[in-house]
Amino acid sequence: MAASWDTSRYLTLFAGEATEHLEALGKDVVTFEKGATPEVVDSMFRHAHSVKGMASSMAFEATAKLAHQLEDLLDALRADLARADAQVADVILQTVDALSTHVKAAVANQPLPDSAELGAKLAALHRVLTKKDTPVPAPAPVTSTPARSSPSSPELEAPAPFSSSSSGVVDPTTPPRYSLRLKINPASNQPGVRGFLAYKRLSTLGNVFDLKPPLDDIKAGRVPQGVITLELETDQSEDAVARTMRTVGDVELESIAAVVKTPPAPPVAPEADPSRVVGQEPARTIRVRTEVMDEFLDQAGELLLATSRVRALSRRVPEALRPSLDEAVDHLHLLVKGLHGRVMAARMTPIAVISDRLPRAARDIARRRNREVELVITGEDIELDRAIVDELADPVLHLLRNAIDHGIEPPEERKAANKPPKGKVTLAVTRQRERVVLALSDDGRGIDVARLEQAVVERGLMTVDQVRGLTERERLMLVCLPGLSTATDVTDISGRGVGMDAVKRAVEQVGGTLEIETKPGRGTTFRLALPLTVAMVNLLLVSVGDEVYGLPLGKVSGVIETARERLPMSQNAPVLQFGQSVLPVHELSSLLEVPAGPPSQGQAPFVVVDGDDGRLALAVDRLLGQEEVVLKALSQPLDLVPGLAGVTILGNGRPVFILDVARLVTA
Amino acid sequence: MPKKVLVVDDSVFMRDIIKDIFAAGGFTVVGEAGNGVEAVEKFKELKPDLVTMDLVMPYRNGIDATREILRSDNKALVVMCSALGQETMVMEAIEAGAVDFIVKPPRAEDVLAVVKKVLGEA
Repeated sequence: MAASWDTSRYLTLFAGEATEHLEALGKDVVTFEKGATPEVVDSMFRHAHSVKGMASSMAFEATAKLAHQLEDLLDALRADLARADAQVADVILQTVDALSTHVKAAVANQPLPDSAELGAKLAALHRVLTKKDTPVPAPAPVTSTPARSSPSSPELEAPAPFSSSSSGVVDPTTPPRYSLRLKINPASNQPGVRGFLAYKRLSTLGNVFDLKPPLDDIKAGRVPQGVITLELETDQSEDAVARTMRTVGDVELESIAAVVKTPPAPPVAPEADPSRVVGQEPARTIRVRTEVMDEFLDQAGELLLATSRVRALSRRVPEALRPSLDEAVDHLHLLVKGLHGRVMAARMTPIAVISDRLPRAARDIARRRNREVELVITGEDIELDRAIVDELADPVLHLLRNAIDHGIEPPEERKAANKPPKGKVTLAVTRQRERVVLALSDDGRGIDVARLEQAVVERGLMTVDQVRGLTERERLMLVCLPGLSTATDVTDISGRGVGMDAVKRAVEQVGGTLEIETKPGRGTTFRLALPLTVAMVNLLLVSVGDEVYGLPLGKVSGVIETARERLPMSQNAPVLQFGQSVLPVHELSSLLEVPAGPPSQGQAPFVVVDGDDGRLALAVDRLLGQEEVVLKALSQPLDLVPGLAGVTILGNGRPVFILDVARLVTA
Repeated sequence: MPKKVLVVDDSVFMRDIIKDIFAAGGFTVVGEAGNGVEAVEKFKELKPDLVTMDLVMPYRNGIDATREILRSDNKALVVMCSALGQETMVMEAIEAGAVDFIVKPPRAEDVLAVVKKVLGEA
């Protein structure tokens, strides 16, 4: 039956929300298997209920019916928790999977699958559960299922799948918090700098939270009524904070008060209002399509570029006009940067978006492979740019699969090795300055490096001598060799393998790095260090012939100027002395296959960069300086050209290719 | 004991104005410098209680000099001297560790108020 309004407009929204509910439900089932509590069954019921409501609004009758049956089953369970067992959990998961298939079919505009058989199963189970005299089945196998748990912080167990805020969680180890109200003297002629100074001074005392207005507004002088409010987490006394504030001119501390910590919110009770979706989201949010956020970022980036073009032009106006123009451009730049920062902040997404799927995945993999696994996830509230989070979903799943499949030993083998039969896999997310580090560790058998080397040689990927020349770190990185990882028979002897090259590629594509650590018999850790955002990059601009190229500064180790004809030769090729080492010299023009400029007289610049195969020196015609730019991804067909990482537009409007230094030489 | 001040500015005229303000306020100006390199040297030599630092100077600008001074003594008190319209640079200097700033042209009462606050005498 078609609804009276055009439902296709809502299809994307429906798919997104229904998927989120189903993922959360799947996650709840894992908790449920560890022990059925009224809270978790309530939460599952609410998710099923929401899916039912949405499906019937969209006139997806079959989906709505299935969700309704699931809802009935959960309702019956609520009345009698003792009847929860592994069989019930399995049927619930099957239903969740079936509902996901329904949603996918709906999005693809295909007929909804036939779930009659599953429906019958649900109905039968429902009958059993509501029949009073049925014998109580055996309790759920609590110990043999993987589960996400964290002994130190039981809050992590709370079903709050998309909340990124940790507020309300009382942690006895955090220092006291104060709520401060500051006022900038209205007569101050630089209120922005005054406010910034106060903020800086306070941040030397502890951590600042809930800064209002946001820092970029303060810096730009947008402080309504001169009032700044913030919370300060510090070990210092109230008096000491007040004393510090007294040393800041033109800013008065109007009030300071200790913040009373709020206890964790009680689980949300099931609500009667079917139009409400998950009740756990604490912040008021609106849903925005990811593409819209991409467009925002693009536009904000364009604005930054446009501003630097104006700045470049201002150098050409008469001297007398320049100061006021510069001031205006400075202000504009600050505003635009603020906007850009805001857009970037809006794109930040908690890792939970991907880690929420892992408990369910861990359970399934462990069951299939007869492993006992406990999955512990910490720090999933930490946020990263949406684009990076999206790129990481598959790699992280790969790593988890490998950890359970090849890392964790079967229970008997673990017992024989004097280990607890249940293996432990940890995903620890931490923020380390400007990077977010995702460490996935297992306490399994570790990587057998000797056998890995042997496999590499056997497959003809490297010679014995080449392998011998590798450092410890490089040896471990062999698991990421493309030819190796696709060979299934190798995965078990190497202990790793499936798709590791894809993992490494994905991590590097977003500007991150992958490190591996392993201890025989003790386990393996994969450490992904990721940038918070993808879009800004600092470049060293160089010219070759008529062209300008950008080298990411992060990959540049140094610059040396020396006469070309005086370079020493090694094996008929020029080399460059850099510190203690001697580096191969490559002409950037020949690597890029572009004409070089006229040979320079006297000193010529060489840029020392870190390539995939070690350091090397690039001969360029001229160094043009540094610039922080907005990186734009390459579109087809340029994204297929090896050695190019992206493109940007300089202040003078000139497009510049950003070189993928790591791959320049191997390309 | 009067507090010791080092005045850094590339303009002799501006240094004289600031020196007079300090003298009238009961401070001792123990030295002056006309560029960032000199500022760092004089700071290490004279160990003043406070430095006033111009932002834009030849050889080494005020921000770099401030950074260098704080590297040699992380308790050093550096107050920036800036003109209107240099907010971005002032914030950069604060980021580098400057404790406060004075807006040029300096007015005696403003300068003394800021300096006394910074020294904890207000």
